[in-house]
Amino acid sequence: MNGQASSISRENPPLIDIRGLNKKYIQRRPLTREKFLVRAIVDANLTIRQGTTVGLLGESGAGKSTLVRCMALIEKPTEGQIWFEDTKVFDSKTSSISGLRTQVQVIFQDAASALNPRLTAAEIVMEPLEIQRIGAKSERRERAMELLERVGLSRTWERRKPLEFSGGQRQRLALARALALKPKLLIFDEALSHLDLASRETMLELLVSLKNKCDLTYFHVSHDLEMLRGITDEIAVMCEGTIVESKPTAELFAHPEHSYTRDLLQAMPQLETIYSKRFAHELS
Amino acid sequence: MSRRYKLWCALALLGASHALVLFAGFFAPYSYSTQNRDMPYAPPMRIHFIDAQGSLHARPFVYALKEDSALSGTYVTDHSREYPVHLFVHGSSYKVLGLFDSRIHLFGVEQPARLFLLGTDEYGRDQFTRFLYGGQVSLAAGLIAAAISLLLGGIIGTLAGFYGGWIDEVLMRAGELFFALPWLYLLFAVRAALPLHIAQWQVFLLLLAVCGIIGWTRPARLIRGVVLSAKERNFVIAARTFGASDFYLMRRHVLPQTYGIILTQAALLVPQFILAEVTLTFLGLGVGAPMASWGGLIASLQHYYVLASYWWMFAPALLLIPIFAAYYVIADELQEHLKSVPL
Amino acid sequence: MRYLARRLVHAILLLIAISMLSFMLLQWTPGDFFDTMRLDPRISAQTVEGLRSQFGVNQSFGARYLSWTRSLMRGNMGYSLSYDTPVAPLLWSRAKNTLLLAGISALLAWMIAIPIGIWSAASKGGYGDKIFGTGISTLLAIPDLVLFLVLLLIAVRTGWFPTGGMISSNFDGMSAWQKINDGIWHFVLPSAGLAIVMLPVLVRHIRSAMIEALESPFIRAARAHGIPRMRILLRYALLAASNPLISLLGFSIATILSGSAILEVIMSWPGLGPVMVQAILSRDVNVVAGIVMLSSVFLVAGNLFADVLLVASDPRIRAE
Repeated sequence: MNGQASSISRENPPLIDIRGLNKKYIQRRPLTREKFLVRAIVDANLTIRQGTTVGLLGESGAGKSTLVRCMALIEKPTEGQIWFEDTKVFDSKTSSISGLRTQVQVIFQDAASALNPRLTAAEIVMEPLEIQRIGAKSERRERAMELLERVGLSRTWERRKPLEFSGGQRQRLALARALALKPKLLIFDEALSHLDLASRETMLELLVSLKNKCDLTYFHVSHDLEMLRGITDEIAVMCEGTIVESKPTAELFAHPEHSYTRDLLQAMPQLETIYSKRFAHELS
Repeated sequence: MSRRYKLWCALALLGASHALVLFAGFFAPYSYSTQNRDMPYAPPMRIHFIDAQGSLHARPFVYALKEDSALSGTYVTDHSREYPVHLFVHGSSYKVLGLFDSRIHLFGVEQPARLFLLGTDEYGRDQFTRFLYGGQVSLAAGLIAAAISLLLGGIIGTLAGFYGGWIDEVLMRAGELFFALPWLYLLFAVRAALPLHIAQWQVFLLLLAVCGIIGWTRPARLIRGVVLSAKERNFVIAARTFGASDFYLMRRHVLPQTYGIILTQAALLVPQFILAEVTLTFLGLGVGAPMASWGGLIASLQHYYVLASYWWMFAPALLLIPIFAAYYVIADELQEHLKSVPL
Repeated sequence: MRYLARRLVHAILLLIAISMLSFMLLQWTPGDFFDTMRLDPRISAQTVEGLRSQFGVNQSFGARYLSWTRSLMRGNMGYSLSYDTPVAPLLWSRAKNTLLLAGISALLAWMIAIPIGIWSAASKGGYGDKIFGTGISTLLAIPDLVLFLVLLLIAVRTGWFPTGGMISSNFDGMSAWQKINDGIWHFVLPSAGLAIVMLPVLVRHIRSAMIEALESPFIRAARAHGIPRMRILLRYALLAASNPLISLLGFSIATILSGSAILEVIMSWPGLGPVMVQAILSRDVNVVAGIVMLSSVFLVAGNLFADVLLVASDPRIRAE
């Protein structure tokens, strides 16, 4: 799958193009209120091509979440620009942003916090349609039901509250909601890291089947190298606010350039031995 | 007493007292301004079932009180005639809920006897009646002032929490300003700024406004806290990615989280403002005669001789206690309940 | 240290803002002290005008504010038109009585509240906690006004305590020992009233702060180390709980001042309360403004004092 993907990815038009992105903000120390500068993103460049699955690797504090927020158009960068399908996103005219917002959706790490516990499943999935005022109420409900089924949840669960679902089901609910406005790009902000292996497998299979059906592009932010290796066409590595490396997956593993990437990969063989040892034990 | 039981008792008590006060005209045997100059400071009448001869009457009755010819100012019960207590009698006219007239009172006795359940004051006005009517002023003052505070506090807290930045700074500094002043002195100061002789209802309204304006700081601060944490929740961010407007976010996701706090604050503010009104009127700075207010009813207690001899004048003060207790019980229950809600 | 400097600047700005507020509030008084005089036909209009300009009542707003603040700085709070004496000495002598009463009552209240709060927290859910809890809830439900009246009633009915005032009328003729006795005798009821009124809120806050401290991980670790219970309670938990409690001290000053005003009127204690009420009734603008300013100064000073205590007791703040 990876080999095929890399040849496709060179040809596909870029969906999102991030150039020279910078995000700085001022924080205050809790008690003295002394100001200090936080440079969350420093001159970041990244291109994500349509139809591909790209991964973002980096440890906590590297600036991944801030990048996600800028890509989801929730935050404005201090400098730099993002192009979405040839449209400049952060133009002086802010009206263009709200239209583009629906094209990019984020699935968060903790599904429980991303879903309002007071709403029912149906209400949650309907919310985007409600906000965008698409269709009449009955049409919205019908579409919500379709989406629930598409992610593998039953229609009959429409009245359940989020806390009544399991972790994996909640992520699928969040996914259903994200698909409501037919976005082009889905960003997974560590969304699979807290799932148990079984739920993760189910989720990944679902994502694969949805990708072609709905013509989606995926962006997985994670610190789990193993998982990214298995699902992505390209991986970008983020370190202290900047993208230090960005290559097709196979190439990254074969020829890592940056020292950070190499350090990460060095830790990997140990993981492989652990896993292989465990499987060997089970098989014997 | 289990907690649930306590809560229901408190709610029932408040419901009953507000109903009594709302329909004061019906429940009170007399009008609040009717004076009986011939019976100043009459003690409360007792309702009897057994008469002087020892026989039981089906219907309760009272004895008339006559001024003691020997000791002026005290009263002697006249056992010569029983005056039965009737239900649904015709009495002085009043307006039900301010809308239509009625003359029916829940209970009463025939003239010339009087039924003074809580005695009379220096003008011979029935204290029980004045207590019910006074409740209209005092309870309404508490409720309205609390509503104003909560509305102001809610709006300011939501705006400050949601938008942050300089709006937050300015509003919270302003709040600190109000917080720094002792509320009673501020109330005094505003009262001083008002002319002494403006119409009673204007005094009332202005006092409410002032209470409301002073009281917004605490609810605002609490609501701001809730809004601050709510707006960072991932489901709010998600809604933003769907293109939700600020107003939608506030209405659908943020505000529902504040309802609990608003209710708790309401349960705490109402008694505070009732007390504020009562205190001001007690000191002679609030609503004045002939409009009854609980503060006015206990104002005469400042005089030594009243405190010494006429114990029933104390009743309105003591009757405040269960009402306050009920509000605090409700506030406590709400706070406990809030702690256990998953959000 | 920077924390304290910030708080000081903050306090000064607050005072300035309050001074402006109180001044504005009073300048918007429709009508002034001379209104009643004007209605009196025996006094000519010119005399009234003359008096008005003499007291500077007809100058422009800005000029009046500036002259007011200038004299305020010098310690002059203007002239009381109804008491016919300068405001500052009048208020100051009264303020001393209020401070005496409020200060000692607060001390009493805290001294009673702390042990009760600690014990309730330590025996949370147990017998002691339940009994005190009910008692405190009952006290809370009694409005201040009613409590003071009840105390007055006790004084009137039993005669054990005087029904008002700070000293008896024959004070000057007493010996030193008698004077002390007399003072205490007059002091008991008012301070008991104020202290009782403050108790419920204090106990509740102390209890919840202690419970929070006791349930924190480092206390559990201390217990696991076998440190004796009493020591944990007093040396560790209490200190940890002191931060919110010191803030409570700052906040409670406002309540104490308000409560004491009512008490003073009812029990005829010669403090700021009765003066304030009188001033409003006679539209004595300078006195009202003076009292608002004075009480704000007390409040701000009290809060600053609480901040100093905070810095002294909480090392986290010192470290910044």
